[in-house]
Amino acid sequence: MTGKTGKIISGLVLLAALLLLPHLLQYHHQDLLIFLTINVLVVASYRIVTLTGEWSLIHAVMMGVGGYTATLAFKQFELGMWFTLPLAGIVAAAIAALLCFPLFRMTQFYFLIGSFAAGEAIRLCWIQFVNPFGGTGGLSGVEPPLIGNIDFLEPVPYYYLTLVVVGMCLFILHRIEKSRIGLILHSVHWNSPLAESVGVDTWRYRALAFIIGSFFVGVAGGLKVHYLGTITPNQFGVGFMVFILIWVIVGGYNRFYGPVIGVVVLTLFDESIRSLEELRPAIYGAVLIASILFLPQGLESIPTRIRRLFSRKPENDSSPSNK
Amino acid sequence: MGFTRRDILRASVAGAFATGATALPTQLLAANKTVKIGMNIPMTGDYAPWGLPGLYGCEIVANNINTAGGVKIGGDTYNIEMVAYDHGYDTEKAVQGYKKLVLQDEVKMVMMLGGSTVASVLPWAQRRKMLTTTLLPSDITPESEYLVATCESHPLYNVTGVEYLKAKYPDAKTAAIVTNNDAEYGLQSAATYKAAFEVAGIDVVDVNLHGFDITDFAPIVSSVLAKNPDIFCMATSFYVTPLMEQLYHQGFKGKIISCTLDYYDEIIAKTSREFVDGTIFQFPDFDDPALNDPGVNFPNPGDFDAKYRAAHPNDWSAVSWEYPAILLNWLEGAKAAASVDPTAVLKALRSAKNPEFVFGGGQWWGSQLWGLDNAVVGRWPVVVVENGKARIQEYRSVSGWLEKNKDVLIKHMKELGLRTV
Repeated sequence: MTGKTGKIISGLVLLAALLLLPHLLQYHHQDLLIFLTINVLVVASYRIVTLTGEWSLIHAVMMGVGGYTATLAFKQFELGMWFTLPLAGIVAAAIAALLCFPLFRMTQFYFLIGSFAAGEAIRLCWIQFVNPFGGTGGLSGVEPPLIGNIDFLEPVPYYYLTLVVVGMCLFILHRIEKSRIGLILHSVHWNSPLAESVGVDTWRYRALAFIIGSFFVGVAGGLKVHYLGTITPNQFGVGFMVFILIWVIVGGYNRFYGPVIGVVVLTLFDESIRSLEELRPAIYGAVLIASILFLPQGLESIPTRIRRLFSRKPENDSSPSNK
Repeated sequence: MGFTRRDILRASVAGAFATGATALPTQLLAANKTVKIGMNIPMTGDYAPWGLPGLYGCEIVANNINTAGGVKIGGDTYNIEMVAYDHGYDTEKAVQGYKKLVLQDEVKMVMMLGGSTVASVLPWAQRRKMLTTTLLPSDITPESEYLVATCESHPLYNVTGVEYLKAKYPDAKTAAIVTNNDAEYGLQSAATYKAAFEVAGIDVVDVNLHGFDITDFAPIVSSVLAKNPDIFCMATSFYVTPLMEQLYHQGFKGKIISCTLDYYDEIIAKTSREFVDGTIFQFPDFDDPALNDPGVNFPNPGDFDAKYRAAHPNDWSAVSWEYPAILLNWLEGAKAAASVDPTAVLKALRSAKNPEFVFGGGQWWGSQLWGLDNAVVGRWPVVVVENGKARIQEYRSVSGWLEKNKDVLIKHMKELGLRTV
C-alpha cells in the first residue's frame, strides 16, 4: 500500500467516523460536538496568524465580530445564514484590515498587548452601546437556516452543516498554508530580515495572515450564533482567548493538525472534569505547565517521539554486540 | 453477667425486627414514584450567589416533602428529586444543560435564573413544551408560552420600596440611581426606579451606569454624592457591598434604598450597624415573623430558615427561598392538574385568574410590556434593616402600582432602550 493510498483510506475512515459520531452520542453531547467542530475552525484560523510568528489576543473578539455581524444582519435586515456567514467573515476581515495599521507598527510582546487592548476596546463597544449590540445581555432571537424540511435547530443536521462549512474552511486554510503565500508566511516567522532582503514586504504578509485568520474566525462566530440563537460580549472575553491559546499550545502549532488535536483532546478532557468546575483554572494551569515542560512541541509531536523511540531501539541493541 | 447463646439469638431476632420496622417507611417511600425537577443555574462563577443557594433551598423543601411521605398528584404519590446543572452563566453550557435535563434526566420543569442563558434555551422550551421558569420576566417574549416568572418579578417589585420610602420620609425630594449597565438586570431596574421616583414626586438628579469590570467605587460614589441627593438608590445588587462601604467612608447621611442587600451581615461588619440600619430593600430573611401572615404561601418559613442556616450558614441570598417558592408553586399546579406533565401543569397554573404565589394572591401580567401575561405580580414585602436585622415593614401591591402607572414605566423602559412590545 503506497503512502497516498494509506492517506486516502485514513481520510475515508475519519470521514466515516465524523459522519457516524453524532448518532453515537447523547443529545447534549451532540451540542458539544457542534461547538467542538466550530472551535476546530477557531484554532485552525488562529494558527495562520501565528505562522508569521505573531501571537495575538484579539482572535476571540474577532469571532465575536463575526457573531455580532451575523446577528445584526439576521435581525435588522432579515438575511439568511447563507448571506450572514460570508458577511460575518468579511466584516471581521475588514475590521482586522483597519486594525493592521496601528497593530503592525508593533511586534512580538508589544503586538500581543496591543491586540489585547484593541480587542477589549471592541468588546467594550458591545457592552456600552446597548443599541444596537444589546449591552452585557447581548442579543437573542437568531435562528438557524431553513432548507426544505431539514430542521437545523436539531443538533444532528446542524452538526452536518457545521462539518461541511468547517471542512471547506479547513481545506482553504490548508491550501493557503501549502501555497507560496504560506511559505512566505513561514519565512516571515523564521527569518524576517532575510525575507525582506529578497523583496518580501513582511508588513503586508503579517497583515494578510491576520486578515485571513480573522475572516475564518468570523465565519466561526456566525456558525455559533446561528445555532445558539444568542450572543453576549462575555462569550468572547479574555477567558475564551486563554482557552484558544491553551488549545494551540497543548496541541502544538508546527503542523496544521496540531491545534486541532489540542482542541479535541482538551474538550474531551474538559467534559471529564465537569464536576470539578471550581478547580478548572488550576487544572488547566497544571496542564499548560506540564505541556510546556514535557511536551514543548505539543501533542502533535507524540507520534514523532514514538517513531524515534522505536527507530533508536535497534541501534542501541546492535551497538554493544557490534563492539 | 455473661451472655448465653439464647440471649444472643433473642437479641438478634429483636434487632432484625427493629431493622425491619425502621426500614418500613423507606420501603414505603421507595414505592412512591419520583418526579424530577431541573435547575439549570450558575453554581460557579460570578453569578453563583444567584444560583447555588436556590439549589440548597430546594433540596431542603424536597427533603421535607419526601420525609413526610411524598406529595399526592393525581392518583399517585411522588417523591421529589432535584437535578441540577451548572452552566456558570455561559450560554453554550446553558443549552447543553437544558437538553441534558429535559431529554436525559426527563425533568418536568426547569428552573433558571434568567437573562441570556434563558434566551438561548427558549426555542427548546417551546419545541419540547417544557415548563421553564425565570426570575427575570423581561425574558418573556410574545412567543415564549412555556416560560413563566411565578415568583420574582424583577425588577417590578422595586416600586413598593419607593412607595414606602415616600410615605415614611416625605422630606426626601431627590434621588440618585447607581447600577451596572446591563440590559438584563441593571437597566431594567434603573427604568423601574426612575418610574417609581417620578410617580412618588422625587426628582432623579443622577443615573450612574457603570460597567461590570469596575473595581474602584470611590469615584462613582464621589461623583454621585456631589449631586447632593437625599436618596442613594442601588438598582441592582452586583456591587452593593463596595458601594455601601464607600457611602459609609464618604459620610453619606441620607436614605439608602436597594433592590437587594445580600450578605448584609458582611456589610455591617465592614461599615457599622448604625449605618446599615434603615436601609430599605426587597428580600426578607425567612425567620421574619411577618412571614407568618396567613396570606403567605410558604409552609413554616421559620423552620426553613433555621434548617437552611444550619446546613449552609454563609450562603443565604435572595434566591435561597425563591427557587423553593417556585417549586412549591409548581406542586400546587401539578396537584390542580392531577398530572406532572409540563403542559398540563402550565395550563392549571395559567387557568387561575388570581394565582397564588409566595406572598399571596397575584395576577398574570406582562403582555403590555413583554407581549405575554406570563409573570405573576401581586403584593411584595418592603424590608428594612433594624438593629442589624432585616425585617419586613409592610406588604405593598405591585399589581396595583402597575395598574395605575404602567405607562410611566413603559416610557422609562423605552428611554433606556429596553425591549417593550
